Amino acid sequence: MSLTAKNRVPMADSWERVTGHIAYSEDQKTAGMLHCKVVRSPYAHARILEIDTSEAKALSGVITILTGQDLLADKSMNPYYGPQIKDQPILAIDRVRFVGDPVVAVVATSVDIAAKALNLIYVDYEELDASFNEVEAAQQGATLIHDVSHKDFLGSNAYFGIRPIPNTNVCNHYQMRHGDIEAGFSQADVIVEGEFSTPTAAHVPMEGHAVIAQFEGEHLRLMSGTQSPFTVRNDLAGVFNLDPEQISITVPRLGGGFGSKLFTRLEPIAAIMAKVTQKPVRFALERDEEFLTINRHPVSSKMKLGFKQDGTLVAKQAELYYGTGAYADCGPNVALKGGYGSIGPYRIEHFAVDSYCVYTNLPPNGAYRGYAVTQVAWASEALMDDAAKKLGIDPLELRLKNILHSGDTFPTGEVMHDAQYERCLKLAANAVNWQEEDWQARSYPADLPDTIRAKGLAVILKGTTTPSRSEAAIDLDAQGNVVLHMATIDIGQGCRTAMAQCASDVLDIPYDEIKVLDPDTAITPFDNRTSSSRSAYMMGGAVTHASSNLKHKLLDLAAEYFEVSKTDLELSEGFIQVKGVPATKKPLSELLKHNKLDKLSGNANYENEGGLDPETGRGIASSHWHQGAVGVEIEIDTGTGFIRVLKCHPAIYAGRVINQQAAELQTDGSTIMGIGSSFFEEVVFSDGMVMNSNLSDYMIPSFLDLPEDLSHDLIELPNAEIHGLGETSLPLIPVAIGNAIANALGVRVTDLPLTPERVLRAVREAQGKNR
Amino acid sequence: MKTLTLNINGKDERLELPVTATLLEVLRSRFDLHGARQTCGIGICGACTVLIDGEAMSSCLMLAVMAEGKTIETIEGLAGDTLDPVQTAFVEEMGFQCSYCTPGMILASKALLKENPDPSVLDIKEYLAGNLCRCGSYQKIISAVQLAAKTLQSEQPLVNK
Repeated sequence: MSLTAKNRVPMADSWERVTGHIAYSEDQKTAGMLHCKVVRSPYAHARILEIDTSEAKALSGVITILTGQDLLADKSMNPYYGPQIKDQPILAIDRVRFVGDPVVAVVATSVDIAAKALNLIYVDYEELDASFNEVEAAQQGATLIHDVSHKDFLGSNAYFGIRPIPNTNVCNHYQMRHGDIEAGFSQADVIVEGEFSTPTAAHVPMEGHAVIAQFEGEHLRLMSGTQSPFTVRNDLAGVFNLDPEQISITVPRLGGGFGSKLFTRLEPIAAIMAKVTQKPVRFALERDEEFLTINRHPVSSKMKLGFKQDGTLVAKQAELYYGTGAYADCGPNVALKGGYGSIGPYRIEHFAVDSYCVYTNLPPNGAYRGYAVTQVAWASEALMDDAAKKLGIDPLELRLKNILHSGDTFPTGEVMHDAQYERCLKLAANAVNWQEEDWQARSYPADLPDTIRAKGLAVILKGTTTPSRSEAAIDLDAQGNVVLHMATIDIGQGCRTAMAQCASDVLDIPYDEIKVLDPDTAITPFDNRTSSSRSAYMMGGAVTHASSNLKHKLLDLAAEYFEVSKTDLELSEGFIQVKGVPATKKPLSELLKHNKLDKLSGNANYENEGGLDPETGRGIASSHWHQGAVGVEIEIDTGTGFIRVLKCHPAIYAGRVINQQAAELQTDGSTIMGIGSSFFEEVVFSDGMVMNSNLSDYMIPSFLDLPEDLSHDLIELPNAEIHGLGETSLPLIPVAIGNAIANALGVRVTDLPLTPERVLRAVREAQGKNR
Repeated sequence: MKTLTLNINGKDERLELPVTATLLEVLRSRFDLHGARQTCGIGICGACTVLIDGEAMSSCLMLAVMAEGKTIETIEGLAGDTLDPVQTAFVEEMGFQCSYCTPGMILASKALLKENPDPSVLDIKEYLAGNLCRCGSYQKIISAVQLAAKTLQSEQPLVNK
């Protein structure tokens, strides 16, 4: 079904893509729309004393200006929102918590006038102590950024229990205990441990965020560049005290997301301004504002692993601090996923993790491609290599010895099925010709050679949102038009074509004749969100079942029409006929016309079940797992610290690939983003202010950053479930490169990114060791 | 304000505009040509690439008034009844994911192939280094440019006939 030319088809909308005719969220406009801009806090933590908007209000073209106090005074609304904790005010109330926190919103007849007005608004602040480091901020006695014990502060939005630590900045503490960790370490012959860090990183979608909001009476309509329209609808319903049905959100194509467009972002500000002005209001971010809105969690981690002399991994302990910024966003869930993600794809008898989601006075951090795993893999897979060295065992063999197989129990208590980690690892290692000399301790003369080559390996597991739900509907009308209703947002993964292919597989209607519309929460069936690499799997399931549902209805009608049994019928190319009798061929629409039906629909609801107990951290973390490994070969220039990636080969378990080229693109894209994380991506702060909020100072990979030989394996197996793969390779890359460096120099770099300075320091350390 | 004529996709357009307007702003807001896009606003990312007298330029850094007297080609002007060979190659090799950078990539690729009809992989990487793709479609874009080069070369009339 999958390994045929059938899955190598072009995108259905190729013409629009190459002629510049895709309309993204930022291209949308409405007649009479006004333009919104915000004044942002220049302080990381401060009390708001006074706001003077009088000069700005007098500027011709300024329509309205709102502050947090105005929102607080409006008793018809609730000014706080958030996907898991309702801690984020639409506009800062009483105090600001990060440099960039929106304080005042201005709406004007043009963007230029709104921008001018910002400079005429004067805000008086009283500075407060600020915390920027996630470990320091978590300690007792640190200045509190929120009151985490206030009961109104806890949202019911999370599908798991949130466990804050009172009187601290820890808004969620995920913990899990499996076995007896002390006993485990006492049994161990060899122990390795280390402290690691990963920095804040930015998503940098090519298209920024854009929203247009409009109230029509009591009905709120939005166009939003969001990956999660149903979640946003719920948040707005809570803010405005409306029924979700009174809010409709349409989503056009997005120019990239990578997690930055998940959950509520610009919508509340645009909506409140639309309500007050009774006009459509557009709110979009400038590029520098993107860095002030949502980023990736920096993580400080501490891990300890214990092994028997034969290489059996007996104990592992992890302490993780996820800096979530000034507002939690989905941080509590990120800390949870990182918590169980730190187990890695291994059998471990004794495991303990404490994963803290910590407020800091920095821009909020949220969902980012690779979701929590990149940061823990950086530590976890590094220590596997360190242990291999200490044990005198090949790092590949050490991993294979402990790797999860189907039937093994994961420390959460769930039994793993369809475990392909061994296959992934072996393919990745083979691709770089992993040999004995690649991991044996090297000895060098005191002067290191100008260049050193080395290889590195890594393997990870990553979960997908569990529980979750996707619904789909597919309509055929009497004119023969086929419309697929599904709310997966096209952020570059090619979902509209892929889902049309799923429908086409069942109904045998050409995939490019199946129309897929912009999702609209008023019409399109429910989907949790486009995240977690869940859509090919979950929406693929919903679309397949909805198509089957329609197929059965069509077969019922056809059986009557042709006066044969259903098994004597066959669908082909949008037609139906009695098997082996081409003269009977009729278009599907004929069945509707004959029965005087305008429309025939297929529907389906597809769910996965599970979840983790908030107290024990155990249960079902993921209904199935994203699995991958990578082999890399690098060359270090010991004079400059620059690294060439000679070869990079991820081996990813795909289960079943829907669209071959799209799957290859997603895998390569995830790998390349991993290259960025490895070498240069870091949001740099000074006293909480972002110093590199532009694409000259924050670099993302270009053509010149491609590994010299980039290839991959997408592993498919018969009858396998479709596995998402948009994220899987990213978390592998930084640590595999870090492992290669450690193999080359005998020195472990513990902090990302692997800048030339950091690599040179490791080179110096290696030289020092060899003297 | 200045009144001038801009030649956009082969058509002369007379308009009045502020001298501070960038070519990108004018293309998008006055002519509804949304293929040229703004990501960085500082000439780094190439999403705003247009062809000025056949050369790839960042329209976010160009004042519209500087384009007077030159030919301006945007992605919308490329296809006639059929897609241009570079566009076709991008479709066949699927040289895109979200496609936001695609117009810029295609126009820059056209400029490359005009200068260098038989580019090596390194030639392609260096020439297109100013066109960023966050989705990371680079490998397939290289394949698309190679395919377009082949197609264009095979379409060349033989010189010594």
